[in-house]
Amino acid sequence: MATSGVDTDLRGGGEPADPRRSAGLTDPMADEGPAAPEADAPGEPGEPGELAEPDEPGRRRATRGAINLAARGVGELLITAGVLVALFLGYQLWVTDLLQARTQARLHDKLTETWSEPATPAPAEPEELPPAVRPDPAPGEGFAVLRIPRFGDDYAPVIVEGVTDAALRDGPGHYPGTAMPGEIGNFVVSGHRTTYGKPFDRLDELKPGDPIVVEVQDRYYVYRMTRSEVVTPDRIDVIEPVPEQPGAAPTEAAITMTTCHPKFSAKNRLIVFGELDKTVMKTPGGAVPFQGGEV
Amino acid sequence: MYGWIYRHLPGPTPVRALLAVLLALAVVALLLFVVFPAVEPHLPLTGVTVRG
Repeated sequence: MATSGVDTDLRGGGEPADPRRSAGLTDPMADEGPAAPEADAPGEPGEPGELAEPDEPGRRRATRGAINLAARGVGELLITAGVLVALFLGYQLWVTDLLQARTQARLHDKLTETWSEPATPAPAEPEELPPAVRPDPAPGEGFAVLRIPRFGDDYAPVIVEGVTDAALRDGPGHYPGTAMPGEIGNFVVSGHRTTYGKPFDRLDELKPGDPIVVEVQDRYYVYRMTRSEVVTPDRIDVIEPVPEQPGAAPTEAAITMTTCHPKFSAKNRLIVFGELDKTVMKTPGGAVPFQGGEV
Repeated sequence: MYGWIYRHLPGPTPVRALLAVLLALAVVALLLFVVFPAVEPHLPLTGVTVRG
């Protein structure tokens, strides 16, 4: 009965019910109406207009309404799914960057404040560098600024302690337990290559010899990029004190940066290695090493 | 679904429209600040550390 009702309804252009129906279609809200009247129909015979009609057209309308409703429901679900995916993309590509930019600004302010306190005492002999103060950051706390001249003078993300998801949302994260900047051993930093400010977005552009500057309270550690490689995520030996040589005793201060590879994938890791070249003390009003395009 | 929600919003048309917009914004905010950050770590989109 239901299908035949639909059939006649679809073909029945000249039926008496038609003028009412087409009149109803001119009002968009009336078109969405069938659900409610259909449910109400049996229980409330007193309702005017709708139920004054003969029984047969009423059922036809109800069937058509049910099909319309189902079609609309599916359509709305599909559109909702599409919007959801688009929104997630927008979140990944845009919102996460905004979130990290805000966090980084806060970290910079905090670091500037911390560093304005008296630094290390002046060296007894001017030829010698004063002893470095080892930063002792709490998890999530910013303690150094990374500067990579190839990425521009504006590139200065604050490195935070830890490589948890939360820490990496704030900025490049230092592997707990690995060396601190300038120390003999391996200073390991991980950072997002996409999303969350993508600090390591262009890590693949580094060339051997490129300076990688790590700024701490009173000095700059200038590392030089030595090499890079793409490894599987289980290659924890890249963060050894001597990279890729488990058990070896370190004699050099190394830096290792890890990020994802390829972009937008968690399949592999891009690893960039570097070694400490020199240490430059901060001077009042002194410029950041390599600032201004000199590489 | 959306028609049903709209019909169940109280008040005259301008109020309903405003409520509908607010409702949509609330859902977007919930997604951006609660749902997406919670779901994200479980998606194979990014992994930057090496782990044994």
